[in-house]
Amino acid sequence: MILGIPAAQLVQVLVVPIAATFAAGGMVTLVMMIILGIVGLVARTLDWWFRTFSFDGEVLRVDHGVLSRNRRSLDVARIQQVEVQRGALMRVFGLAAIRVETAGSASEPEVDLRVVPEPDAFALRAAVRASQQRMGDHPVTQDGTEGPPAATRVLTVPMKHVVISSVTGARLLVLPAVIGGAFQFIGQQVGNFANRVTNYLIEQGIAVDPSELTGPDWRLVAMGAAGILVLSVIAAIVVGVLRDGRFRIDRDGEDLHVSRGLISTRESVVPLRRVQLVEVNRNWLRRLLGYATVRIRSAGGSTGGDGRVTVPLLPEQDVDDLLSELLPNVPGIPELHAHPTAARRRALFRWWRPALFTIAVVWLAPELLPFLDHPVVERAQWIVLALLPINTVLALVEYRQLAHGLTELVVASRRGALSISTSIAPVVKVQAVTNRRSPFQRRLGLTTLVAHVAGPGAVIEVLDAGRDAARSLHQRLSAHAASPTPVVPDRDRQVDDTAAAGPAGPSGRSEASTA
Amino acid sequence: MSDLPPPSGPPPGDPGAVAFPPEAPAGTTPDEVAEAPGLDARERTLAPAAVTSWRISAALSLIMPVVVTSTLGFVFLDRWGWAVFGGWLVFATWLIGWLQPARYRRWRWQLTEQAVDLRHGVLIHQQETVPYFRIQQIDIVQGPLDRLLHLANLQVTTASASGSATLPGIPEDDAPQVRVELLARATQAVADHTGDLRDAV
Repeated sequence: MILGIPAAQLVQVLVVPIAATFAAGGMVTLVMMIILGIVGLVARTLDWWFRTFSFDGEVLRVDHGVLSRNRRSLDVARIQQVEVQRGALMRVFGLAAIRVETAGSASEPEVDLRVVPEPDAFALRAAVRASQQRMGDHPVTQDGTEGPPAATRVLTVPMKHVVISSVTGARLLVLPAVIGGAFQFIGQQVGNFANRVTNYLIEQGIAVDPSELTGPDWRLVAMGAAGILVLSVIAAIVVGVLRDGRFRIDRDGEDLHVSRGLISTRESVVPLRRVQLVEVNRNWLRRLLGYATVRIRSAGGSTGGDGRVTVPLLPEQDVDDLLSELLPNVPGIPELHAHPTAARRRALFRWWRPALFTIAVVWLAPELLPFLDHPVVERAQWIVLALLPINTVLALVEYRQLAHGLTELVVASRRGALSISTSIAPVVKVQAVTNRRSPFQRRLGLTTLVAHVAGPGAVIEVLDAGRDAARSLHQRLSAHAASPTPVVPDRDRQVDDTAAAGPAGPSGRSEASTA
Repeated sequence: MSDLPPPSGPPPGDPGAVAFPPEAPAGTTPDEVAEAPGLDARERTLAPAAVTSWRISAALSLIMPVVVTSTLGFVFLDRWGWAVFGGWLVFATWLIGWLQPARYRRWRWQLTEQAVDLRHGVLIHQQETVPYFRIQQIDIVQGPLDRLLHLANLQVTTASASGSATLPGIPEDDAPQVRVELLARATQAVADHTGDLRDAV
């Protein structure tokens, strides 16, 4: 069934190492690399040659292995997600990669078919979806009619928003380090040339010889910082646009189709009933501009890294609309209740602790270690004192944002100071509930409650709720988790029975594990 | 039917602990609950041997840091080395002599109508509720020390890695029974639901 040409592999396996070898220099390394490359190519070709898959409408079978043959059978009911990825090179050759996810907590996808002709990839995805819909005993559509409705556009992120997202995102904080590291790497590679450039810069008075450096030259530092900042912004925009350009979400029956990417595209299918947790994040910059990002987590361990679908940017007023698409019958972020004033003392304490620790270290260190007795350190001593008022403000902001809410369908929690994150999970997805109270919390009558949903690190943490509120939350969430019959008024029951738990699909928990 | 030790002494008077469930949920009659085989819903403590096990593990975990820091102390700090050693001695006494028994006294577990409920923690009080319906897997784990003391740990796994609970220090002979009981209740909980609602993930 696999007819693809391993050209992408050839390039990947041979060209990259050879280029790297030329950069490093040395004939021996070159030969070694070529041998390694050929061995790798042979291995990967053999792996590709012996890896076959078939899908008969019910079971996806994958056979692989050169010497020891492995066969993996995957029931269509267990498949959580089929993702088709196409890198730039793969698109040139009309190839695609398929990743099939199940609800395991493993970090690897259950089935990873790396080189498949594009039509085959889409055909497999369509076949899996069709048979999932066929096996569901009542494919539910909005108007109650049978059969899959046409896909509807849920969301398109315009290019302007992708750019804003790149500029206001956390990636901007990482990139200066990356760019700095890249400079260093290039510097090492280029060796003498870099030295010559440095010397030239020193002669021209643009840079200062490090050996002559007595104290930081603030003008130079500022220039370098500005340069790196500009480069970072440009790089962030390029990376962001390439990755998230043409981001769109379609709804096809009970599945969400998420596509993104300009050159290498990535298309994921997230069944709505597998949505475990939705996080609305707003960092301070985006809050000022009135934007938010939305992260959708579904069960399926290896959706990993970025695979948790993240909407790069969304105007704040559109968040509720998107939420109601993601979590059927949920009109938006539920009403949230603030926490008791005692939580403010905890927030202050939490923020003062690191500030006081830092201040203590910076003030005491020069006493103990004489070589730190330096004007820079002395200046730093006064600067760190500013941490105290800053952290006080942050603590007060954090307290004001602390809130939680519980409706018949979802549980939600909001927290954060600089970056505010609201997590919302359907109550039927709550797997277990824990609460904890430290001695301080006990004295202040507070409890931290955690509702766990499936997926790595997927929790809803309600920080410092009042003791009684937490107790009732614990009881109600445990009751929901133990008996996920939606507790709704009778008139809504019909709707919620199906919608809250998602469409009827071939269900059945993992018999293998409980047996 | 149960050989499990009854709770020793009154349950810890804990105003913050959640009584679960508050009442029988709609649709569950008391008869259904009574039909469930095996263990009743009373609060249970761990096997007393658990304290010994924790004390030994605590002592073992202290050996390395004590030897390293005390040696460094004696080499570099002269007489102050004794202070380091003395500090460790006080800490070890507190950890082994007080904390571990206190931990044991605080531990309670309970098979309520709908969930396994664990309450523990000396400094930080914790309560974990794992509904039977969400149980995906139950493991019995025994380390060498546990085998020596005839103890077993019961690991109850849900679809959420962080929402899984461990019940330490069950008497070795009771562990299979508790496991079977939990499995039965998990199966029953799944059977009580139909269609989509059966799907725990």
